[in-house]
Amino acid sequence: MKTALELIILLPFLGAIGNILLGRFLPRRVVEITACSVIWGSFFAALYALDTYSAPAVVEVGAWLTSFDLKVPISFCLDPLALSLCLMITFVCGLIHLYSIGYMRDDPGHVRFFALLNLFVGAMLVLVLAENLPLLYLGWEGVGFCSYALIGFWYKEVKNATAGRKAFIVTRIGDIGLAIAIVWIFKVFGTLSITEVNRMGQLVPMEVITALGLLLLLAAMGKSAQAPLMVWLPDAMAGPTPVSAQIHAATMVTAGVYLLMRMFPLIGVSAVVTGAIAVTGAFTAFYAATCALAERDLKRILAYSTISQIGFMMLAVGCGAITAATFHLIVHAFFKALLFLGAGCIITALHHEQDIFRMGGLRRALPGVFWPFLAGALCLAGVPPTGGFFSKDSILTAVWAKGGMFYGALYLVAMFAVFLTAVYTFRMLFVVFGDRLAANSLEPDLHGPVKPLPGIMKIILIPLALLGLVSGIFNLPAYLGNGLLQSFLAPLNAEGGHLSHATELGLQSVAAIVALSGLAVAWWYFGRQRRAMRIARAAQPPTGVTAFLQAGWYVDNLYSLLFIRPYKRLSSILWERIDEGVIDDSLDRMAVQLGRTGQGLGRWGSGRVSAYMLSLACGATLMVGWFAWVVL
Amino acid sequence: MTQFPILTLLILLPLLSAICLIPLKKREESAKYVALGLTLVELALACWTWSAAGGHPASGAPPGFFLFEDFAWIDTLGIRFTLGMDGISLLMVIMTVLLTLICLLVSWRTIHERTALHYMLLLVMESSILGVFLSLDLFLFYLFWEAMIVPMFFLIGIWGHGRNLYSAVKFFVFTLSGSLLMLLAIIGIYLIHGRQSGIYTFNLTALIGTSLDPAVGLWLYAAFLLGFAIKFPLVPLHTWLPDAHTDAPTAGSIDLAGLLLKTGAYGLLRFGYPLFPEASRTLTPLLIGMAVCGILYASWIAFAQKDMKRLVAYSSVGHMGFVALGIAAWTPLALSGAVMQMVSHGVTTSALFALVGMLAARTKTLEISAYGGLWSKVPVLSCFFLLFAMASAGLPGLNNFVGEFLILLGSYKVQQTATILAFLGLIMALVYTVRLVQELLFQEERRPLALTDATSLEILTLAILALSVLFIGLHPGPLLDMLALPVNILTGGTP
Repeated sequence: MKTALELIILLPFLGAIGNILLGRFLPRRVVEITACSVIWGSFFAALYALDTYSAPAVVEVGAWLTSFDLKVPISFCLDPLALSLCLMITFVCGLIHLYSIGYMRDDPGHVRFFALLNLFVGAMLVLVLAENLPLLYLGWEGVGFCSYALIGFWYKEVKNATAGRKAFIVTRIGDIGLAIAIVWIFKVFGTLSITEVNRMGQLVPMEVITALGLLLLLAAMGKSAQAPLMVWLPDAMAGPTPVSAQIHAATMVTAGVYLLMRMFPLIGVSAVVTGAIAVTGAFTAFYAATCALAERDLKRILAYSTISQIGFMMLAVGCGAITAATFHLIVHAFFKALLFLGAGCIITALHHEQDIFRMGGLRRALPGVFWPFLAGALCLAGVPPTGGFFSKDSILTAVWAKGGMFYGALYLVAMFAVFLTAVYTFRMLFVVFGDRLAANSLEPDLHGPVKPLPGIMKIILIPLALLGLVSGIFNLPAYLGNGLLQSFLAPLNAEGGHLSHATELGLQSVAAIVALSGLAVAWWYFGRQRRAMRIARAAQPPTGVTAFLQAGWYVDNLYSLLFIRPYKRLSSILWERIDEGVIDDSLDRMAVQLGRTGQGLGRWGSGRVSAYMLSLACGATLMVGWFAWVVL
Repeated sequence: MTQFPILTLLILLPLLSAICLIPLKKREESAKYVALGLTLVELALACWTWSAAGGHPASGAPPGFFLFEDFAWIDTLGIRFTLGMDGISLLMVIMTVLLTLICLLVSWRTIHERTALHYMLLLVMESSILGVFLSLDLFLFYLFWEAMIVPMFFLIGIWGHGRNLYSAVKFFVFTLSGSLLMLLAIIGIYLIHGRQSGIYTFNLTALIGTSLDPAVGLWLYAAFLLGFAIKFPLVPLHTWLPDAHTDAPTAGSIDLAGLLLKTGAYGLLRFGYPLFPEASRTLTPLLIGMAVCGILYASWIAFAQKDMKRLVAYSSVGHMGFVALGIAAWTPLALSGAVMQMVSHGVTTSALFALVGMLAARTKTLEISAYGGLWSKVPVLSCFFLLFAMASAGLPGLNNFVGEFLILLGSYKVQQTATILAFLGLIMALVYTVRLVQELLFQEERRPLALTDATSLEILTLAILALSVLFIGLHPGPLLDMLALPVNILTGGTP
């Protein structure tokens, strides 16, 4: 067990270090093979760990920070939650690494790319397996750094570098929540071990737990791009598409959800915290779905859909349904990676065109991409019986099962978000793949014929598509037998209401109808005839609601006005007016004044006899006067 | 004294090396090699003292000190040549010797005028800084404390650029005025202790027990604090630092940021707090206020800088604010963290100054807006730059995180509000760091600059620093163990 764990973690790091130090001197093929093989090695180690798994185990590998009462070893905890995520991460990332060989075929920066990609997987695995909070924080910041470096991978363009910077800073704001939670937990519990802290929840007052929970929620908002810290993810699409698939869809952005699940035994007892998590999730699911409705950049649509889907996971965590959240997290990783990789194929084939309204006719041109992409879209929209349907439905069921006004309202919001999801998914699908229009004002602008794709890029889509379609079997609803994940993760779930099979079936039918009606609406608006009209209209600048949604509700502009510009301006004012102007200047002036006084005094002792005589006279008078005053 | 006087040798060796360089004034190449060779010997000596750590305490030494030397000097005034080394001093000594080596290496190809003198001054600096870190006699401490300023003054004045004379004088006046008040306080406590016990001595261990009238103690401590706060530097006494850093030669900046600032922090925890436990407790809110202001204010200002050296200088003020916070909290964890942060900051900031110096030596400009797109032109330098910038921003796994994390863990127990404000400083640190990284390494080239990638000497210099960054970040255990005993003794008696 220990060896397997060490291999899981170490292999990606070894790959990264090897490529950083030696990659420049090695042939391209060797770099690629090293990068891919370490991830697959890690996957097989994880499989071995699954095979030999019997009970949750904590493995201490070495010492890290030990000082006085603080003990932070490098120790890993293998439990069902961590293990299932490890398998998912190494598998999906392994596929994306293979895809990257094709995608980065002509890029001269491949060494940096693969080194960072490997480093990312290593950091992500540390995050997932960490047994104590500082180690988790190490992984947490590590993935943040890799994300920063990879978003700005094509650093020559200011836009890309700025997007990376934005992602790093916005997530760091959330990270501070995690950091404060860590020092607070240490103050209260005297330990930072996750397993121990989770066991000691009842020892501290509820207010402290609530505060800790809200701080962790802040951390999750940053990393998982939840409102109000969601602004960085759409911009993060500036990175190469495999990066978007791996970091900004399948793995890293779900880290916030993972953190809340990890700490759920501690924070789950506070109703305020679970309520806040659920509201954040539901609102974000709705917000991002509306933005995706109007967005016209293919990758940004997918980014918004990621934000929205993570909102669903958060909602599940807020309901205490850890299984449902994990289930959706894993299934989402499959189909979202698939959609992004498919989008990567499309974008490559169209010479880096990302505007969906400038695409078209791709069903014929790229059948190898269309069919897997369709599978992904069905999953995302939650059309039965795909994996996405079952996973999303298990969340909705969990919300329903909580009952009450509050969760009832959230159920309605979530249902509406499901509807919107189906609409924007098929809007994207119809517009991108629909027939090529003869009299289209935009489409002829494509920079040439469709570019042939490397085989590997299309092959990778197939296993992901199959997994997305059938991954429902990982956790079938109760009336179809016992779920695999359900039994695996059973101890983690909070007590929730149990539903009869009939209710469950009824809820599923509702969800299916909602998703299908979304599809119908999308067809109504973007189907055969309407499509041409929509595309023609897209040439005009957006107005009204469309403009509002395309700008992401103007949140970016608001933040710029409230925070960024004042920060910049005050920074200059503080420097030029206060630091140089007041503090430094007053000291300088004091020095000058002292110098003048010195000069003045110097004149006194400059050797002029009259001055000496005067001084002598004054001094003598003073002395005599004092003497007289004392004596008389 | 049967034991070999290793500590005295540690202090004298750089001084002797400096004297050796005098006859080599005309033969600069050989002067460089002599200086380098003797610095390596010094490094070996420092490592040798490391092996003595954890051994039996020396006879007659105060608790916690494993090396101790005590020679008669000016007996009539109770002044003795007392040196001692505990875990804290050991870390400081190793850092000093290592960074001096780095200073020599970065000056290797960049200093062409009066080379021998430059190296002499660096060695004299090393000697006096080591003296500060090792002396246990207040008079001796003061002597070394003042001796540090002189070589630095000449380093800035002779090899500096820009308004270097102004900056050198400013530096000199600032630090001197602080330390003169400290001298008064030293004499004050000497007299008070002498009157109480009849024994007139400058020995630190003897003076620690002095019982002071609260008001008198407060004034004496305030004088000490002023001297240390200027060196630290704490806001609002920091304005000498950006000027001095910007106009100093690269080696001067490294010495200044890496070592000189640490003497302020070291003085505070070795002399300030133990000598005046009451007064230091009274003035803790002041220290915390200055620390937190320093973190936030300096990090904020750093963002607006147009000159990269000045940006690193302001970031230095911010990082030293964390050290001050750790000392003010005075819990074992926070104090260990403060010492770790001193070392970490020494390494990362020196590395950043070295890199900035290397870039400026090639392009002759320090303006951030002149650069851009360095990644494609000088990949090796850029890679190092990114590493040190991230270390400076406190990424876990790299060195600064260890110190900052321990400080925050320790200080949160006693000072919640201040600690939470300090956390905001972490965001601000990232903001100016990524701005600098983006404008230097990324984007398109903004001005055509003649750039060549790192030479093997530069790679060696930076690799030494990079290894230290990773070692402290990933395996700080040995260093933390070293600190455990002295920190425990220091915090044992005081709040």
